[in-house]
Amino acid sequence: MDVFILLLEGIFVSFEPLNLGLLVFGCLIGLFVGAMPGLGSVNGVAILIPITFIIPPTAAIIFLAAVYYGAMYGGAISSVMLGIPGASTAVATVFDGRPLAVKGEAMTALTAAAVGSFVGGTVSVILFTLFAPPLAEVALRFNAPETFALMVMAFATFVGLGGDDVPKTIFSILIGLALSTIGLDLITGKPRLIFFNIPGFLHGINFLVLAIGIYGIGEMLWTLEETKGKVQMSKLSVNMKEVGRAFGALKKTIMAMNIGSFLGFFVGILPAAGATPASLMSYGITKQLSKNSKEFGSGVPAGVVAPECANNSASTGSMLPMLTLGIPGSPTTAILLGGMILWGLTPGPLLFTQEPEFVWGLIGSLYIANFFTLVLNIALIPAFLMVLRIPFAILAPVIFVLCVTGGYAPTQSLHDVWLMLLFGFAGYILRKLDYPVAPAVLSIVLGPLAEKALRQSLILSDGSMGIFFDMAEKPIAAIIMYIAIVLLIMPAFGPLYRKFFKKAQTT
Amino acid sequence: MSVTNKITVKRAEIAVAVILALCSIALMIKSVENRITWNAEENMGAGFLPFYLSLGMLICTVLTIIKFVLKRSPQSKDDSPFIEAEAFKYIAVTIISLVILVLAIGYLGIYFSLIFFLAFYLRYFSSKSVLFISVFSLITPVLTFLFFEWLLKIPLPQGISEPLFYPVYDFMYS
Repeated sequence: MDVFILLLEGIFVSFEPLNLGLLVFGCLIGLFVGAMPGLGSVNGVAILIPITFIIPPTAAIIFLAAVYYGAMYGGAISSVMLGIPGASTAVATVFDGRPLAVKGEAMTALTAAAVGSFVGGTVSVILFTLFAPPLAEVALRFNAPETFALMVMAFATFVGLGGDDVPKTIFSILIGLALSTIGLDLITGKPRLIFFNIPGFLHGINFLVLAIGIYGIGEMLWTLEETKGKVQMSKLSVNMKEVGRAFGALKKTIMAMNIGSFLGFFVGILPAAGATPASLMSYGITKQLSKNSKEFGSGVPAGVVAPECANNSASTGSMLPMLTLGIPGSPTTAILLGGMILWGLTPGPLLFTQEPEFVWGLIGSLYIANFFTLVLNIALIPAFLMVLRIPFAILAPVIFVLCVTGGYAPTQSLHDVWLMLLFGFAGYILRKLDYPVAPAVLSIVLGPLAEKALRQSLILSDGSMGIFFDMAEKPIAAIIMYIAIVLLIMPAFGPLYRKFFKKAQTT
Repeated sequence: MSVTNKITVKRAEIAVAVILALCSIALMIKSVENRITWNAEENMGAGFLPFYLSLGMLICTVLTIIKFVLKRSPQSKDDSPFIEAEAFKYIAVTIISLVILVLAIGYLGIYFSLIFFLAFYLRYFSSKSVLFISVFSLITPVLTFLFFEWLLKIPLPQGISEPLFYPVYDFMYS
């Protein structure tokens, strides 16, 4: 009952004029950002975070969450119309969305994507409302060792579940952490890693500089290489008859909606997983369980609904550990978490007791954003198609302008703009060589928090790392640490498993 | 053979791994400027974490190099160009123009630098008319000014062009 009242209060908060205006604006921007190839929720949130400095934190998080949410809807538009995913989260949408568009049924694909996103979003927000308060209650009992263990587990999930090259993934985590140590050491007050005595390094490296560099500049370079500045779009007829037919086709997608919504939510909670693997897994499982599995890939609405349900559901799921544990569930929530620190908040379970308006305003806004995004998405399809006709050669410089101004605004230092460019170029090169970049962003955000938790833990234990493995004194920290170790060594068993599986198949 | 064909994925992989290994060593050396040990009185030295993090980075890059030598990574067997010639033009011009943009911001200020950057970029890569490019290149900095200086009250760098904005500020704050 308490939860219901708090939720109602949260919904009222999101109906306040400023919050509602920003919510609708955020949904629109998110749809646009998601629809543009090369831009996704993470790019949108990273580039837009500097403009939230002048509004209250509740309005800021509602705005950015709406951008995040809208981008999940919008990603399907370019997947269907261009055959290029608007973001990695919409990759699986291309598999059946594009063939539907090629067959002249683009409206069916777009409607399936919008309704799928709505269902996935609604289910996940309900799950979020039910799970968040008890999880926050448990997390309130966490001290420094438990917090540090949780952060180690967040890093370990990238190694165990990320599926990328292990040394490259660990390198990415470590470089993010190393970058977070640059500047004045908060405990001893001594300057650390001040290269060539450049004073700009004294204030450290803001996570936004890395995030905008990688997800703004780097992503644009990547997309310019992929598209070479051009676009190619399918034809689309938009009329009420087409929309009606599209809704009719959704009757056969109930199973896809269930799989996408529930699987998406729980995969989204895992830090290394997020919306992209959730949508790919949902697509794969729906295909396997479907009676018409052979038709998948040739243009079936269920093949669009499953990934779209999952990516929206996962985006909400990834906010659960962010709010309750202070651990982001995706790169976008890592940036949101960094934003909370910039707005003067302490991410974690205390938010539920100290900042209830912020937490429940955000949760309430997700319900409202879900509805607005569905309506805006279907109503504005013709407008988004016009936007998609803009050649990348025109869009790219505008994004670069946003990156340069966004990189300068937080600290008002050109030093940070240079660093942002450097990170952008480096991120582009490293991504081409299969170095995952998301762990670096996650670790630069979590780095200072992890260092604080580690130092406090070591003071408690007189410098002994045993505090993290002591089942008698710190059982929760120990269990989390052992899970982290399992995740870290998991990739080593991958080749053994495949070898064994191959052998079993041949015999 | 063009330059882009000479830089294969294979060569890029090993070159980047070596550069990252050298950067890790440089970070370790830099970390040693501070204490890298733990003691009961002063707790963790300021250099402790950076040192061990960069040591970890070095180990990772060495593992990447070993995988390359043993041909265990996909990149170690990939002789295709790291970047195609047509895409290279886009990337190189973009990177050079961005570097010139940031250099120009320090001298000319952001608004005038943006005008030149946008005009050049659109002229070079798009087939739009001179009129479109001129209007677009002028409107974008004006909108940027209004958004940051008027709405957010965040001053952006103006370099030698700063005196030109005094009348505008007088108007805005009068």
